[in-house]
This record gives sequence, C-alpha cells and structure tokens, in this order.
Amino acid sequence: MEVINGLLHGFAVALEPFNLFWCFIGVLLGTLIGILPGLGPAATIAMLLPLTFQMNPTSAVIMLAGIYYGAKYGGSTTAILLNVPGESASVVTCLDGYQMAKQGRAGPALGIAAISSFIAGTVGVVLLMLVAPPLSKFALSFSSPEYFALMSLGLAMVVLLAGKSLVKALLAMLVGLWIASMGIDLFSDASRFTFGQTHMLDGVDFVVVAIGVFALGEVLGNMESRQHAQVLPVPKGLRNLLPTWADLKACRFAFLNGSLIGFVIGVLPGAGSTIASFISYGIEKAVSKHPEKFGTGVPEGVAAPEGANNSETGGALVPLLTLGIPGSSTTAILLAAFVLWGLKPGPLMITDNPDLFWGLVASMYVGNVMLLILNLPLVPVFAQLLRVPVYALYPMIFGISIVGVYSVSGSLFDTWMLAVFGLLGYAMRRLDYPSAPLILGLVLGDGMERALRQSLMMSSGDLSILVSRPISAVMLFLAVLILVLPMFRKANAWRVKALEEQS
Amino acid sequence: MKTRLIFTMMTAAFVAASPAALAQGFQPSKPIEVVVHTGPGGGNDVLARAIVAIIDKEKLAPVRMQVANKTGGGGLTAMAYVAEKKGDEHTIALFSGNWLTNPLTRTEAKFTIKDLTPVVRLVLEPAVIAVKADAPYKTLKDFIDAAKKNPGQLKQSGGSLTSRDNVVRQLLMKHSGANWTYISFPGGGERIAALLGGHVNMMVIEPQEAGEHIRAGGMRVLAQVTDKRLDSFPNVPTLKEAGFDVPIVPQVRGVVAPPGISREAVAYYEDLFGRLEKTASWKKYLVDNQFENGYMKSAEMGKFFDEFTNNMRGILKEAGVKVVR
Repeated sequence: MEVINGLLHGFAVALEPFNLFWCFIGVLLGTLIGILPGLGPAATIAMLLPLTFQMNPTSAVIMLAGIYYGAKYGGSTTAILLNVPGESASVVTCLDGYQMAKQGRAGPALGIAAISSFIAGTVGVVLLMLVAPPLSKFALSFSSPEYFALMSLGLAMVVLLAGKSLVKALLAMLVGLWIASMGIDLFSDASRFTFGQTHMLDGVDFVVVAIGVFALGEVLGNMESRQHAQVLPVPKGLRNLLPTWADLKACRFAFLNGSLIGFVIGVLPGAGSTIASFISYGIEKAVSKHPEKFGTGVPEGVAAPEGANNSETGGALVPLLTLGIPGSSTTAILLAAFVLWGLKPGPLMITDNPDLFWGLVASMYVGNVMLLILNLPLVPVFAQLLRVPVYALYPMIFGISIVGVYSVSGSLFDTWMLAVFGLLGYAMRRLDYPSAPLILGLVLGDGMERALRQSLMMSSGDLSILVSRPISAVMLFLAVLILVLPMFRKANAWRVKALEEQS
Repeated sequence: MKTRLIFTMMTAAFVAASPAALAQGFQPSKPIEVVVHTGPGGGNDVLARAIVAIIDKEKLAPVRMQVANKTGGGGLTAMAYVAEKKGDEHTIALFSGNWLTNPLTRTEAKFTIKDLTPVVRLVLEPAVIAVKADAPYKTLKDFIDAAKKNPGQLKQSGGSLTSRDNVVRQLLMKHSGANWTYISFPGGGERIAALLGGHVNMMVIEPQEAGEHIRAGGMRVLAQVTDKRLDSFPNVPTLKEAGFDVPIVPQVRGVVAPPGISREAVAYYEDLFGRLEKTASWKKYLVDNQFENGYMKSAEMGKFFDEFTNNMRGILKEAGVKVVR
C-alpha cells in the first residue's frame, strides 16, 4: 500500500511538464553519449553539474539519472554496427550483435537491444522500488571472499566464450589477466610492468584494449580480404530492419535472465555492469539448447547482456539511495551532486526526501518508455550507416576509435596504446585466438586479485575463508561445475564413440 | 552618475592602497583551465566544479573557468601536465595531499610539487575514527586495548598505503604499541560497506559521510582527527583528549600554477581565491561538507610543503613503504 501511494505521488511529481522536459533532455543526452564511444555518463554528468545548481534537486536528479540509464541504451549501437564497444559493458554485445550485422541482420539486432534494454530497465526500476531496503542488507553481507567467488564464477565463463580451442581461449585470458595486473599495486604501493612510464601507473585503460582488439583488429582483418565495396549487406524494406516474432520468442528467457542478473550484480558496490553482462551471457549460453550457435549471431546473445547492462542501473541505485554508497564513477558523481544540492546522502535520504525518491523512480518508468520510443525509429536510420562503402567506413571507424580513446584520458599515449592493441587484435584474429576471453581476464583480473588478497588479510592467510562462508562457497562450487562439466561431456562423447566403434 | 564616479574613484583608491594592487598587473584574457588529477566524481574534481560554480555565480572572474581531468598515477600525470605548461598564466591546478606524498614513493615521478608555483591553500578536511554502532568499543582506548590483546586480529578498512587513513593508523600504532591489520579498498563506498557489513572493525572517515550513518544508527565515532572539536561532533574527544597525542594529519587541498609565471599572475590568483574565500556561498560549501577553512597565502606555502613532505617521509619509512626521494 505504501508503495502504491509512494508511486502515485511519484508519478504526480514526474509527470509535471517541467520534470517531463528534464527527463527527456536527460535520456536524449544519454542516448547520444552512449552512441559515441569514449565520453561516458560520468564525464557528461560532471560537465552538466554546474547547470543543475539553479534547478530544484528533484528535476536535477531526474535529468542526471536520465543521462545515466540513457547512455546504456546507446552503447549497443556502435557495438552492433561497427564492432566498436561504445562503453565497457557493450563488449559482450559485440560478440553476437556484430555477427548478426554481418549477416544483414543489423536492424533486428539493434531492435532486440532496444527492446531488451526497455524490459530490463523497467524490471530494474520495479525491483528498486520494491526491494531496495532489504537488498541493501544483502549488499553489505557481500565482502571480499564473496567478490572473489563472484569473479571466479565470471572467469569460469571463459569455457563458454572459447571458440574451437579451449587452450587458445585460456591463453588469451591469461594475457588479459596480465594486462590487468599492470600499474600500481594498491596493497604494497609498488609499480608493476610500468616500464618506468608515468602513463602506465594506472595500468591500461579498459576502453583502449576493447576498442583496439575489437574494432581496429576487425578493420585490419577485413582490409586484407577486401572483397566487397560494401562491408555488410543491408536488406531493403522496413520489415527486414525490425526483429521478427521468432527473434523475440527466442529471447524470452534472455530478457528475464538479463533483468535479474543485472539487477543483483548492480546492487553490489564492488562489481559493475561489465561483469553483469558477461555473466548473463554465460548463463544464457549455458542453458541454451544450441550453445554452439553463440558467437555466430543469435539474438539471445544480444538480449541477455544488453538487458543485464540496463537493469544494472536500477541495482546500482540501491546502495546509492539507501546507504549513500556509490559503486561506480557515475554513481560517485551523483553522490557528489546530492551533497552539492544540500541533500544528505545516507541511510535516511529516502525517508527525508520521499519526493525525490519516488519522483526519481516514477521518472525512470517514464524515461524508459521515452528511450524505447526514441530508439526504435532510429534503428532503420542507423542500419543505413552500413551502406557506406568500405573506403569511407573504415577510416571512419579508425577516426571514431581514436577520438573515443582520446576523449577518455586526453592523453596521446593512450592513442599509441590503441595502435598496439589494434595490432594485437589483428594478430589474434589471424592466429584464430578468441578476443572475448582476453577482455574477460582484463575486466575481472584487477578486482579478483584485490578480493583474494583482502580475504587473506582478513583471515590472516587462512584460505578456508573462501569456502567457509555460504554465499562464497556456493558460487565457487558453481564456478568449478562450469569448468568441469564440458570435460565430462567430452569424455562421454569419446566413450559413446568408442562403444560405437566396438559394436 | 556622479555617485557612480565617486564610487569608482573610491574603489580605485582602495585598490591602490591594498595588497591586491599587484593583482591589477595581470588580468586573464581567455578561459582558465583548472587541472584536477581525479576523474569525474573524485574528491578534487567535485571541489573544482564547486569552486568554478561559485566563482561563476558570484562573478569573481572576468573569464570562464573549465575543469580538465588529467587522471593517472595518483596525481603524477596532472603534475607533469602542469609542470610542462611552464609560464602559462591561464592554467591552474588543484592539489591534494597525494601531490605531496606520491612523488616520495614513485621512481616514475618526473616532478614534485616544488617544481610548481604555489598559489593558495584552501581547505583542510578533518576526519573521525568510526566503528560499527554495535561494536563493543565505546572509546578509542577500548579499541586500542582490544588490538593489543589480539595483535593483528582487528581490521581497519582504508585506501592506499600512502593515504591519510593509514598514516593515522601508523601514528596510533607507534604511540600505543598496538597492532592491527590494514585492508585497502580502492573506493570510499567499499570501505564504508566493509565496516557496516561487519567485515572490518574500524575506519577513518570524513565527518560528513559519518554524520548520516550515525544519524541512522549504523555507526559510532570514537575520536576526531582534529586539533579542536568540530561543531558537528561536540561530544567526541580529539585524539589528544582521548589520550593519544599524535601529530594531526589533515587532508589538504589548494591551488598551484605552472612554474615560471609572473608575480602579478600569482597575485591575481591569490586575490581571486581570497575573494572566493570570503563569499557566503563558499562558507556554506565548507559547512555542508564539514571542511575547515585552510586558507594560506603563496608565500607561506613553501614551508608548509616542506614540513608536510618531511613528516610523511618519516611516517612512510616507518610503515615499511619504500621511499625513493
């Protein structure tokens, strides 16, 4: 009852023309910066912060949150069309999204991404509204051992991301883990693999590696084959540009999976949307009836990570609003904004400012609808981009990649690193190494190492802390299961083969 | 019209007589770049954006100011960026304690804060020592005694080894002979979550953050890392009052400029921030964030930098961190 009253009140706030206007501005800006690789929601919100001083805090938070979840919608566009991940969480979308585009199904892929984002974004808000306070307790029960187990579970997904050769996938993952270890070690303050360069002290930026390996690697690889004047086929007719019923039906489970996984992982301050998208993709593949088709352009492979990425927003707002604890740079700047507006972020913020909380929740329902209306008509428009001939498209991808990387750090050093990772991506393609495991290792390596060392510091070096805590034990068990099951399957296949040969 | 003329003359006379006269020798002619070493949402980034907003609102400067995030190496990238802008009078940077401490431990550092031009010191951020509300420790002495009984068993969550959190711990451990474990977490949110979840026993936290958790009944404050009690914590003893007379290490933030800029430009910025410091908006900002006004002029800052750095060098050596300069 309290929820219904709150929500009705919230809609009264969110549907005020003034607030509707700011909500629209927020989601529009969010979509735009999501489409452009590099510039992310955190930087955009920081730039707009001074403007919000004159606004009332509720309108301001409605707009800034619109940028935050709007950016997640846009991130898939360049991932699907150009294999350029628009933001870190879109890397997984590249895997099947770009393959779909290659088969002339860019439109359906973009449509699935938008629909999945809408469903998961809305589920995320529903969950934020209903279970925020009890879930914040769950978030606090999660500590380093649990994070280590979660990251192990994520790393076990390498088995599912491996192409033909598991060994090659593991090697690529190890390179990712090695890159993740570069920079200053938080615990000893020592520099690792920095080669005496100031630029390397923070390690290698994720965006540089992802854009280099995926986008530049792909372009360099394609330039060699040089068959068509047009990169990808774009079918004529509007109907071929939108997802079919069969596509949507295939994605039924992916919508649910993405929504739930994204939200739960979003609630944990130490995880993040990239991990959420990898895990939901892994689960989708693990339960699929045709796992072998993943990576060749199945719509579920787009729906699951895109959903996880969007519902993560609702999850990440749980610790921010109920505890005043930010889990990412974007939520950190929202927190700073609360302080600047004179609100007191913390456990009592919702009780003290019901208008703000319910107004924000209601505006997120409205904003998600706006985003769907905004994004679906853009699908055919963006799909036309692929009609651009190769000699214009490839330089354009290079340009977008370089500008994207430069806009993150403003350092030329990173653009050179981009070239290095572009060549690495090309080499991996030529030698048939999958690039997703490398990214997986890079995303998880840092947090996993940290969680392990924190756990061991907590237990004074006793490894049993990892299995004596129930949540951690369950997740580690699942990780082992994922690693071991395929081996059984293989052994079984051999046995059947041997039996057949005998008889 | 006449009154306005008289007013202008009076202002001119006042300006000529004041130390700000030197500041008239330089006027910015294009937008001023404000360099910060953190990404959007980091401590100095938020402070810089607040400063820009207040200067804009109160019309203290004739040109726009824009924040430039030069992240990397805990400030080293930003320091190098500023140092290489030698003589550029339209660039300033916000420094924090990192800028003083990090060059001590990094061979990669090409510059130290002494290579830059000091402008003003602006804020000092006090800290408090907090435990979870249901923890058995009622005073700092309770905690230290418990740590003595079980060496290495109690845990503190904090940032890197060179951060203030660890410095306070080192000073307290040296003073009392107790010993407890320090667990680094990269984000402030994770440190608080670790304490509230009961995974660690104690943390050094900013009073503004602690305030809300205390109000909600989740945290208790044992002592404040300040010279005198904060208005917001009238009943909490300072470290000295709690029986631990250790040096107070505040988080410090202020403004520096590239090397080789004119005296007039330094005077201009000194005066600009002097006027900022007197505005009601700035005072409100300090109160809202529970910062202390740490205004200090350019001439005194060289000495402050030396003292701070020497203190830190000693503390880090004792903490077992390799000091390279």
